Amino acid sequence: MSTLRTEEMTLNMGPQHPSTHGVLRFVVRADGEVMREAIPDVGYLHRSIEKIAEKVGYRGFMPYTDRVDYVCAMFTNQGWGMACEKLAGIEVPKRGEYCRVIAAEFNRIASHLLSVGAMAMDIGAMTPFAHVIREREMINDLIEELCGARLTFNYMRIGGVAWDLPPGWREKALKYLDHFDPILEEYNALISWNKIYVERLANVGVITPAEAINYNLVGPNLRACGIKWDIRKDIPYSVYPEFEFEVPVGNGQWGKLGDSMDRYVVRIREMAESSKILRQALQKIPPGAVLAKVVRNFKPPAGECQIRVESGRGDMGWYLVSDGTGYPWRVHVRTGSFAAMGIIQKLSAGLMIADLVTLIASLDVIAPEIDR
Amino acid sequence: MSAVSEYVHNIKDTVSTIFEGMAVTASHFMRKPYTVQYPDRMPVRVQDTLPFRYRGILDVDLEICTGCLACERACPIDCIVIVAEKDQQTRQLLLSQFDIDIAKCMYCGLCSEVCPTGSIHHTTEFEGADYSLESLIRRFVQDPVMAYKAKKGPETDPRIAPILNRGMAYLDQWAQPGGEKPPGEEPA
Ligand code: SF4
Ligand code: SF4
Repeated sequence: MSTLRTEEMTLNMGPQHPSTHGVLRFVVRADGEVMREAIPDVGYLHRSIEKIAEKVGYRGFMPYTDRVDYVCAMFTNQGWGMACEKLAGIEVPKRGEYCRVIAAEFNRIASHLLSVGAMAMDIGAMTPFAHVIREREMINDLIEELCGARLTFNYMRIGGVAWDLPPGWREKALKYLDHFDPILEEYNALISWNKIYVERLANVGVITPAEAINYNLVGPNLRACGIKWDIRKDIPYSVYPEFEFEVPVGNGQWGKLGDSMDRYVVRIREMAESSKILRQALQKIPPGAVLAKVVRNFKPPAGECQIRVESGRGDMGWYLVSDGTGYPWRVHVRTGSFAAMGIIQKLSAGLMIADLVTLIASLDVIAPEIDR
Repeated sequence: MSAVSEYVHNIKDTVSTIFEGMAVTASHFMRKPYTVQYPDRMPVRVQDTLPFRYRGILDVDLEICTGCLACERACPIDCIVIVAEKDQQTRQLLLSQFDIDIAKCMYCGLCSEVCPTGSIHHTTEFEGADYSLESLIRRFVQDPVMAYKAKKGPETDPRIAPILNRGMAYLDQWAQPGGEKPPGEEPA
């Protein structure tokens, strides 16, 4: 009896595919429904942002950093600001640092909300997405009041932030947090502990701790594998050492350690931690200036520096080389999404095609951040 | 036996968690919706509900523009073009062109941050759709106008004073480098 001959099929997924979170392309080699491998093909969203920095100067580059990762632009703002400050030896006033942390943590919540909502939607649950978008909308309203924009914030400047908190904003923000904490519980009841949902995510796309380190994963993806590594705690920057918060790690409660469910739950728990940081920051924010005096014609001394911030997608590195002129000589951004893309090819072997979408969503890959 | 009990248990779990989720959805029937019906069923225009700092389409009050070109230099994508020349007879600065290319502008706010009088500022207007690129270039100067000269004391001209006050109120929102007093925020 001869076995049925099967043929491998090459599928193209993207770059314009509704479920690939932006302009991503995968070349999928599949045997029926099961993938042999999915090869990511990046570069469709390359906008030469690093090169632009060499042309527009230090101050003019700040709005461009928003476009590196538009889902959590506060962190890219902060990374660029910190790199310039480190090179020029500028000290940010205390209140300025607090404003940065407050804006950034709100942004982290918004980013994680979008991530968990999009994950549910990719799997086929439409309702949770409407819920998270509603919550994100409220955060956007708050941020809009703070800095005048909803997505491309351009809130931070070299030496601090561009606007202080407006009158009455603190109370509004605290009120929002009071509203947000129960919403998170409600959201968990709505979808997170739903049996079908858990079954769909558990044991899918398992990453072992060793793999995670070898593939250079960062942020929630790394922590979901049980590795406690958070730049805010381990290489503290800004005023993070002044706050008490936990670093949630995955524990394999629903399946294997480091599966999609772990990544999902780490994000949910990180939102609660961000809420904790925000409460402390809003209580403790000191009076004073928010912007250090920096010469208008900003020219850092020649040299190089490397900055790491913990963005919504993990350890984001900013490398800046200055030659002493008004324009950076070289800028490089190291982002978490790019590293996460690398592991997809490995994880996809043996998964169903439908699971590829789950995998991308659970790694929280943002297309503009991959290519820049 | 254990397989059967696990099977039943799974079904029970599934049904109960679905009902939990349904309860959340049902509870939302009673809540006030957060969405609005833009644009025609709003009680007030959206533009009027936006916060003061909202960075919408730029506007320029030529009456108080000093012709200092700070905004033109600050813009990272050169979407502001200003032509200002010294008039030979009156020895005053004459503005003969002030164009902003709204199609290029990314509403970053770097130009309005540096303006000394708050002349160039963001409005809350955001509906910029138009039929041609040409009409997206806002030309603020029709006939050449004299640039504004900052006076030593308060502004006396009753025509300009309210405009200048508006400009200054706009500038107050921005953080002052090293400044102690943030706008209206009581120290925590
Ligand atoms: S808002 Fe930004 S991009 Fe637009 S004109 Fe001003 S500086 Fe240029
Ligand atoms: S708008 Fe403001 S910054 Fe621009 S030239 Fe006039 S006064 Fe100077």
